[in-house]
Amino acid sequence: MGARYISVWFPHLRTDWFALGDPTFHNRPFVLRTTDHGRMVISATNIHAERKGIHKGLVLADARAIVTDLEAIDDIPDISVRILTELAQWCVRFTPVAAVDPDDGLLLEVSGCAHLWGGEQCYMHAIESRLNARGYGVRLGMADTPIVAWAVARFETETLRVETHQLRNILMTLPPEALRIETDAIQRLHKLGLHRIAQFINMPRNVLRRRFGRTLLDQLDKALGDQVDVIVPVVLPSQYIERLPCLEPVATRAGIEFALEELLVALCGKLQREQKGLRQAVFKGYRVDGVTIETKIGTHRPTHHVAHVRKLFENKISQLEPGLGIELFELEAKDIEDNPVEQERIWEKSSGLDDERLNELVDRLLDRGGIEVSRFVAAEHYWPERSFKKSVDVSESPAISWRTDVLRPSHLLSPPELIDVTAPIPDYPPMLFVYEGKIHRVVKADGPERIEQEWWLQQGQHRDYYILEDENGVRYWIFRLGHYHDSNYKWFIHGFFA
Amino acid sequence: MRYTELQVTSNFSFLRGGSHPEELVKQAVALGYSSIAITDRNTFAGIVRAHVEARKSGIRLIPGCRLDLMKGPALLAYPRSKEAYASLSALLTRGNMRAEKGKCHLHFEDVVEFRKGSQFIVIPPSSLNDLYELDPLFVADLRRYKAAFGDSLYLAVSRMYIGNDAKLLHRLHKLSQLEKVPVVATNDVHYHHPLRRELQDVVTCVREKCTIQNAGFKLCQNAERYLKPHEEMVRLFQQYPNAIEMTSVIAESCQFSLSELKYQYPSEVTGKGDPQDELTRLVWKGAHRIFGNDVPEKVTTAIHHELTFIGEMSYAEYFLTVYDLVRFARDRNILCQGRGSAANSTVCYCLGITSVDPSKFELLFERFLSAARNEPPDIDVDFEHERREEVIQYIYKKYGRHRAAIVATVTQQHHKGAIRDVGKAMGLSVDTINRLSSSMWEFSDEWFDSETIAKHGLNPNDQTLRKVLELTAQFIGFPRQLGQHTGGFVITEGQLSDLCPIINARMEDRTNIEWNKDDIEALGFLKIDVLGLGMLTCIRKAFTLAKDHYGLNLTLANIPQDDQAVYDMVSHADTIGVFQIESRAQQSMLPRLRPKCFYDLVIEVAIVRPGPIQGDMVHPYLRRRNGEEPVEYPSPELELILKRTLGVPLFQEQAMKIAIVGAGFTGAEADELRRSMATFKAKGMVSSFEEKLINGMLKNGYTEEYARKVFRQLEGFGSYGFPESHAVSFALLVYVSSWLKCYYPDVFACALLNSLPMGFYQPAQIVIDAQKHGVEVLPADVNLSNWDNALEEKKGKFCMLRLGFRQIKGMSEADAQLIESCRGQGFTTIQNLRANGISDATLELLADADAFRSIGLDRRQALWQVSVKEKPTPVFRAGENNSNDEHIHALPKMSLSEHVLHDYASTSLSLKAHPVSFVRGQLQSLGVVRSKDLSQMKDGDRVKVAGLVLVRQRPGTASGICFITIEDEAGCTNLVVFEKLFNQFRPEILQSSLLMVEGKLQIEGEVIHVIVSRCFNYSGLLRQMTRDGREDLNTAPLSRAEERSATSDVRSQSKPEFIQGKIFPEGRNFK
Repeated sequence: MGARYISVWFPHLRTDWFALGDPTFHNRPFVLRTTDHGRMVISATNIHAERKGIHKGLVLADARAIVTDLEAIDDIPDISVRILTELAQWCVRFTPVAAVDPDDGLLLEVSGCAHLWGGEQCYMHAIESRLNARGYGVRLGMADTPIVAWAVARFETETLRVETHQLRNILMTLPPEALRIETDAIQRLHKLGLHRIAQFINMPRNVLRRRFGRTLLDQLDKALGDQVDVIVPVVLPSQYIERLPCLEPVATRAGIEFALEELLVALCGKLQREQKGLRQAVFKGYRVDGVTIETKIGTHRPTHHVAHVRKLFENKISQLEPGLGIELFELEAKDIEDNPVEQERIWEKSSGLDDERLNELVDRLLDRGGIEVSRFVAAEHYWPERSFKKSVDVSESPAISWRTDVLRPSHLLSPPELIDVTAPIPDYPPMLFVYEGKIHRVVKADGPERIEQEWWLQQGQHRDYYILEDENGVRYWIFRLGHYHDSNYKWFIHGFFA
Repeated sequence: MRYTELQVTSNFSFLRGGSHPEELVKQAVALGYSSIAITDRNTFAGIVRAHVEARKSGIRLIPGCRLDLMKGPALLAYPRSKEAYASLSALLTRGNMRAEKGKCHLHFEDVVEFRKGSQFIVIPPSSLNDLYELDPLFVADLRRYKAAFGDSLYLAVSRMYIGNDAKLLHRLHKLSQLEKVPVVATNDVHYHHPLRRELQDVVTCVREKCTIQNAGFKLCQNAERYLKPHEEMVRLFQQYPNAIEMTSVIAESCQFSLSELKYQYPSEVTGKGDPQDELTRLVWKGAHRIFGNDVPEKVTTAIHHELTFIGEMSYAEYFLTVYDLVRFARDRNILCQGRGSAANSTVCYCLGITSVDPSKFELLFERFLSAARNEPPDIDVDFEHERREEVIQYIYKKYGRHRAAIVATVTQQHHKGAIRDVGKAMGLSVDTINRLSSSMWEFSDEWFDSETIAKHGLNPNDQTLRKVLELTAQFIGFPRQLGQHTGGFVITEGQLSDLCPIINARMEDRTNIEWNKDDIEALGFLKIDVLGLGMLTCIRKAFTLAKDHYGLNLTLANIPQDDQAVYDMVSHADTIGVFQIESRAQQSMLPRLRPKCFYDLVIEVAIVRPGPIQGDMVHPYLRRRNGEEPVEYPSPELELILKRTLGVPLFQEQAMKIAIVGAGFTGAEADELRRSMATFKAKGMVSSFEEKLINGMLKNGYTEEYARKVFRQLEGFGSYGFPESHAVSFALLVYVSSWLKCYYPDVFACALLNSLPMGFYQPAQIVIDAQKHGVEVLPADVNLSNWDNALEEKKGKFCMLRLGFRQIKGMSEADAQLIESCRGQGFTTIQNLRANGISDATLELLADADAFRSIGLDRRQALWQVSVKEKPTPVFRAGENNSNDEHIHALPKMSLSEHVLHDYASTSLSLKAHPVSFVRGQLQSLGVVRSKDLSQMKDGDRVKVAGLVLVRQRPGTASGICFITIEDEAGCTNLVVFEKLFNQFRPEILQSSLLMVEGKLQIEGEVIHVIVSRCFNYSGLLRQMTRDGREDLNTAPLSRAEERSATSDVRSQSKPEFIQGKIFPEGRNFK
């Protein structure tokens, strides 16, 4: 028996996919939009929009003139291939050889599969209805060659199965587009009045070749099965899951730890080989009484370091109730990220933020719970309270480095504290101030530095900052809130210099 | 000791300053300054405005600029004299010319070269280095500057409140003493009021392409860069009182004022003698040429009168300059026509600037306003649009680029762009920005109305949004860039750069100055508008054809005047292609107005415009003209003004004169009114005028109702005012094009086709119209056509019109010339063409256009041969023809209807048949009548008509009504769709190429409309015209609607265009 192919066509692939996310889109016209030369252009339509005459390539404004309440969502570039790849992987339940057929289809090699589903008719029906159930409108074509299957799905009015003996006849009735040749050749064929393949299939090959190129002949041969069409099936994603069945149910901590170690070595080894690292891992035990117990850990950075992950799990193992015993262990890496192996440096110990051990320490501290681990990084704001921010991510590199062009205190009070000040107006530095009940006489002063409110964040008065040194040589950062014109200005202490 | 602010950045330092120059000057006045400088970055673009404002308020503007050098600290420069100003201007010009548009590259050496007579202030760094010292590089630069500028150099000191002010001032002061460069206080002003800081932050974000949230240190730390009161500046510098004093020293030393700039006419135009004598000589010479030796007395009087006036106002040079351009154009056989108030004078008629005989109408020569304002008269000259560049280059060549340049247009922030920029800077989502900018609202107070905001689906309580609207309101009207005026030229006697810096325009070979026409006008410079007009190109081509084929020597002036046949034709709205009166609105006006004389055409041109329509002046005029309503005047004084238009104001001049005579406006006020009318709604200045006008008219005894009506009419003119003086010049072209169409439809159609694109109609309508007038039109052919459409020998009354290659989509002129040049005795095979190097792509275009008939091939056969990609090798050349013909018989034969569709696809027209004729049978069985049968029916009959959609229009003046013109094989039908129905039948109206409508007939004399009640998309019928070979697929009943759309989807993607019906030129939409 020769090969059989099914082509699956998704007339509204992307809009169907978008509608999955928002069911309200099912019953009203909507389109995807993209910018083309500065104009908003429709890149895909759903069935309702299409029925109202909206088609791909229309300028959105024109379409809105026709359908006033047309909904438009921003298209996501290359989403088609992603969706199709997922769908192709999903189709592995029907056939081991499923391929993405851009831009809007799948190609399944189904030789010898159909009988498992009760014949080709039932098989096609199963695929169609399952895909419909997933939310995708589809049409299928089945034939001995991929090209004919593709064409039949698109150019016939309903899902169609082409028997081997019908192949040539059906092909003859199809338009030249069915051969998947360049638009230029298709247009020329139509202009010449050759609207169906039947009208030229019997012309001498050299006549066709000279006018429409080699491709046309190749495609014809492929369509008729005289030349083999190559199909590239999708590769299933690899799974980061390891299982360890036990001959005897395990109920001891030592046994569980041993199982964990086994699984960790296997999983981390795999991750390391693929230059990946886990951010989350789940350790599961299937108990003899049918109960599943599990515990999770998370890491700060992707890792495949066995000892580190083991350390994180160590505190959790006691939470696992082995009951009468566990007969199957499973360790799954849930969240995988790329973790490229870096060149090891022999002479230089990595240190500072890059030190692996720092990250592991952070993981362990966080794992204990109740401890906040963070650091300060500079933020690009004049307003002192916003000129830094807390970061919990060790690897976060700040956008700017700390300012050195202006003096800033090393200790900032949060919030600034109201103080009493004696200062000559209008904007001279204070002569003395009272802080925490103590009078400080100012011997040296600098300022003012005026910092205005960031008006887009909050309204209010500006601050005039002064750096003061008291008779003890201690330096303070204080400010006057409000302009000296206003009678209601106030003085605050905001920080201390080292 | 007066403080003068010497460092002021206005918004003409694009995206840096936060205030208009006018605002800065006004604020300076309010603060009691006696003078202020404007120092924009490498430009003088904003100083004229500031100067005008300062002149008004009685303070002094110190012109200046900030010189940002390629290397080294920036300098502020102030000219002390006219000569110094000229050098600075020349300096900026040099910087501009060596950089691309919008940039200015200056080096220290340039400044040194042009330093004479100017004061300079060097701008120090804004902070000290880590050692609390000034950057040694700056110190070195300062020494260098000092060596070059000597005592003319000062050092700027500013209190920026950024921490180390005291230390910085101290260091600068020390340095100043050491280097003997006096310090001078400035406040580096960027906005006139502290509240503008927000907008200034936003423009910084626009400039830096960031949002306010992530702009960070790109913004200023505080709001201190505003124009501060005198006392405050004195206080800030109380330790350095010299710095304050030095400002007045500099201010006093820079006494140069822009008023000193004196415009001088180029001397070339006058020759050696006195300009007035020269003008008098030329005018009389012209008068004798036109009238012979017996110049009529009326003309003589007019000439004397006008010449005296010109002499009194010293406008002779201006007329001579315009005359010079016109003479050049005439020598080169470029058609031109002057317009504008002064253009319609006897003098201009004698000089040949205009061809409108001034005795045809009565316009006062001293246009009211010009005389009052004492500014140059207004003459715009239209040239053939295809050859205007020749005139422009002539000007450059004759006067030199250093003496002639185009005036700038200051592109302003319009509300759409402003809201986009502000919204983006404020970090609004793209979606919100789109919603804000696409909502059609003009800027107004309504913006801040909660309900209005909510109606657009936005949250009215959103503070950010409110802030965006508020800042947008401030941002609107900010200058954004200096563009090039459409054709306004400034020509001077001396170096133009003595007056104003010159910049590179974006277009190659063009330069323009930094000032726009208002600036020019404020300083009293001469400006000549050199404009392009498509119809002049068409008329010139028609004159040439008329000479070649009919031996006529036509000019704009010698076309027989007042020809009744021409007016008859016009009265029947037979005006396709005619200048100005070919639109549908004009066509339905013509049979009502029935123009009988030249002045009627003037009115016709002016009446179908938004102004009169919005002002509700059309119907009263028609009623009065037809004697249905008495002609009355509200007062005898207005009778003088309104007599020509039967008491209804139709022209801009009339509106202004009513304001003057009726409401007691002064000439200047009326002029301000005219200006504000153009920008009416945008600025909200209207209301003050409204009150003044109405009160004035009440006082003079007019009724309030009439006063309000006049104001409404003025408002109408606001957006689209049309002066009588322009209408007169246009009317002449209307007459000339009508005359040509009436007597030589072949010549007219050919010239029109060769001048496209212009006007309202597609080639198909022009060709059909020509055929209707008895012109035989022949198809384009490889052996018979040229690039241009051409006239062949006479057949019947007229010459036959041979379509040219330019009608074929995708053909280039070069390809066409190649074909013409290698045609020789004519091509006999396609191989002939190929051997001459004509590309396959061109051959395919020709095949598609069915242009191989003279070789005996139809388009399909030709394409079959053209398609062969491989060239036969020489060995087999003998057999090539046979191999090309192989299987040609196997091709399906093309039906006539298919040919017609392909004709449309390739040339947008078909000479074989009209597409609708093929479906006439089906249409007839559905009861659809032909367009030409409508006139046989009666008003109110219910009818069905169908046709190709030519034009869809929804003019803003017609409250949502859509006007559609459809065309069938017999002619055109005009449809009217009311708003409700339009919404109901939106898809049909917008998507049909063949539209069928049911409706009620409305016949008013010769004007026939169908008031539509239902619409149907019949484009499907056209699809049947292609013998697709797959009709089965087209018509097969589909089980599910989903599948129908699914199939059509694939087809529309991959089948050639004609399935989509796109081959028909898309109807002009709503423009």
